[in-house]
Amino acid sequence: MTTKQTNETGPAPALPPPILDRGAVGWAHANLFNNKFNASLTIVVGIALVFALWFAIRWVFFEADWAVVANVGGRFLIGNYNSDQACPGNDCFWRPQVSLMMVTFLMGMGWGVAGSKLMRNLALITVGACVLLAFIPYSAERMGMDVRLLLVANVASMAAGWALARYTRFGTVKWVVIFSVVVFVLSLLVLQGASFLGIQTVDSRQWSGLQLNLILALAGIVLSLPIGILLALGRRSHLPVVKWLCVVFIEVFRGVPLITLLFMSQHLVPLAFPATFPRNDLFNAGVVITLFSSAYMAENIRGGLQALHPGQAEAARALGLASWQTTLFISLPQAIRNVIPAIVGQFISLFKDTSLVYIIGMLDIVNIARKAVEGRVEFQGSAPEIFLFVGIVFWIFTYTMSYVSQRIERNLGVGQR
Amino acid sequence: MPAFLRNLTYEGVPVWRHARIVQWTIQIVSGVAAVALVLWFVANIGLAIDSRNIPFGFGFLDTEYQTPIGEHFIPYDPSNSYLYALIVAAVNTLVIAVFGIILATILGILIGVARLSSNWLVAKLALAYVEFFRNVPLLVQLLFWFFIILALPPVREGIVLLDAFYVNNSGISLPGPSGIGNGAILGIWMALAIAGIAGGVYVSRRLAERELKLGGVAHPLLTGWAVAIAVIVGSWLILSVVTGMSPIEWSVPGPEGRFGRIAGGITLRAGMLVVLIGLVMYTAAFIAEIVRAGIQSVGKGQVEAGRALGLTPMGALRSVIFPQALRVIIPPLISQYLNLTKNSSLGGAVGFPELTGVGITMTQREPAISIFILIMLSYLAMSLTWSLIGNLYNRYISFERSR
Repeated sequence: MTTKQTNETGPAPALPPPILDRGAVGWAHANLFNNKFNASLTIVVGIALVFALWFAIRWVFFEADWAVVANVGGRFLIGNYNSDQACPGNDCFWRPQVSLMMVTFLMGMGWGVAGSKLMRNLALITVGACVLLAFIPYSAERMGMDVRLLLVANVASMAAGWALARYTRFGTVKWVVIFSVVVFVLSLLVLQGASFLGIQTVDSRQWSGLQLNLILALAGIVLSLPIGILLALGRRSHLPVVKWLCVVFIEVFRGVPLITLLFMSQHLVPLAFPATFPRNDLFNAGVVITLFSSAYMAENIRGGLQALHPGQAEAARALGLASWQTTLFISLPQAIRNVIPAIVGQFISLFKDTSLVYIIGMLDIVNIARKAVEGRVEFQGSAPEIFLFVGIVFWIFTYTMSYVSQRIERNLGVGQR
Repeated sequence: MPAFLRNLTYEGVPVWRHARIVQWTIQIVSGVAAVALVLWFVANIGLAIDSRNIPFGFGFLDTEYQTPIGEHFIPYDPSNSYLYALIVAAVNTLVIAVFGIILATILGILIGVARLSSNWLVAKLALAYVEFFRNVPLLVQLLFWFFIILALPPVREGIVLLDAFYVNNSGISLPGPSGIGNGAILGIWMALAIAGIAGGVYVSRRLAERELKLGGVAHPLLTGWAVAIAVIVGSWLILSVVTGMSPIEWSVPGPEGRFGRIAGGITLRAGMLVVLIGLVMYTAAFIAEIVRAGIQSVGKGQVEAGRALGLTPMGALRSVIFPQALRVIIPPLISQYLNLTKNSSLGGAVGFPELTGVGITMTQREPAISIFILIMLSYLAMSLTWSLIGNLYNRYISFERSR
């Protein structure tokens, strides 16, 4: 009789962890059903979620009529820019597209300089979206081959920017900044047109659609940061006149809603300049949005400056730095690094606030959407669809901004030092 | 540098490096420049008003407005003056702000706590809520809700629940108090209700003490609430059954007249509903982030210490974390309240007659500049009130800290 020898010395092999701690079951046990309260919460919320998803999917795919979005199409992007009124002959469509190509060129350059995954993904996703747009199944007269080709050309412009940054001496941050300024001015000029160059001018009142939101937001973002920094420094200054001027400016601009300021920009600001000054509603609105945003920016940066340990500035002074050097090289960089989330939050809210020009009658993307459903029998019930679409368009931009800010924060090691 | 400049010294220091002189120069130059700019603007505006026939002045304020205001919380009639109409609109703004702040705070705290829930599903849903509602412009959200409400069935085909709740595209009607019934009974009931609340507080305190002394779980808060609610509801029922009279008169809405308009009860009209939903959902997303950051700012050791002392998770949240987190939460919360007040100015775009909306309507007939100066001053007053509250709170907590 042979029996298996079982009483070997040494520890028994480790048992696998109990089923409740392994794999999907383990995950669910730890994250969804770890106590009685959470288990019941999961069940209630889960049932509600299933119902909500069921209704949402049914609405999106069966009940909603998305024809209204397709009907507006390219007008979401450029609005009336290429209309008969703005551009007799309807051959101005290439100008926003050239601006777009300059932007993708810059993004390619940014990718080439930074060489980071983040910049690469941003550039590739943007260009990918352009290429996808080129294959939208519109009829040939609705969207001509020239429009489609110019969209695909973004691939080339991005590649050119990337190559410029990689293989020439322009591949530094300094040159990206210089190019950005050049591109911004150049695209405004392209959009405006110049009669002496044989390019017909398009009145800035006809600049509309998402293009308008982006122009206002970009100008605001670029200008409100430096103005905000100056205001914040002014408010912390120990010179009473400078301090109180800044305090009054900040508190007045923060104390009233942006709409009332925009309204004044159309009624009061034109009167504040002599009648001989050229009147430009878009410019006035842009200035007001920028100033409004810089008042908030100033408070964010002031918060960062206040949080700095005074020892930093004292050490810099002790090392012999002049007070302007202390501010510029010691205080500000640290203060700004600490309030990056707040600053980007302000950029996001500035971008969202550009939708308010709707109230003063400018044709931004929200107004385009409203005009597309209002008073049109065939699209009467489609308003929720179109505003959901506009909301998602805004969301894509704002969420990208907040995502990039989180990444920058992580790279700068905020909160880790 | 020319020689005469180099020799220009004060107290032995070249003037452009003498701190006091430089500072005075900066102040004088900036002050003069600012005053000159403002004067230039004012002069240009004055000139334009004179020469370009731009209407300006405040004489219209006494004249009749002659325009109905869709929603008002103080009595209003089209024969009232412009000034009174502006006050009616300001009251609308304040009402929307107060209700919006209360609801947004409740929703925001709920979502902020849900963001930190150990339940994965709840935490992710809260995150999705915050990321969506915070990142879409309020105006787009308002227009979305506006058209959703508009898509509800019209009054006659509206949804009716239990013959008392009416939902249609002009708003929501529900039963509500319409006046005082029997004054004496109301008085007795209110006295009993106050006694009930006091009793609830007493019971809850005693139970909490017992918990501390003897250990175990006595549910002090739950029992306290139960006692208070039982007394309030019970006394109401007993009083109205025994005397056969109701302390408060109730009104149940119902269709009325040829067009089936819903009358009676409390009606939340469409415009107000849209503004309230939009503002609350938008602001709650921001408040949720503030609450989350506040809770996270309290050290993990605090929770662990609370739990080690035998507090339940909710108890630790309530008595250990929240009191400490409030210091971090309140200043940005007040600035969100201010934002909500200012954002209510979008109500005009969806048909709620608040200050800005009424102001824009008024500009059709009367000088826009004068009207908007008044409106901006009103908002400025509201904002300064909020910053005063914020500053007082800051002073209060810094006193506490220095004690």
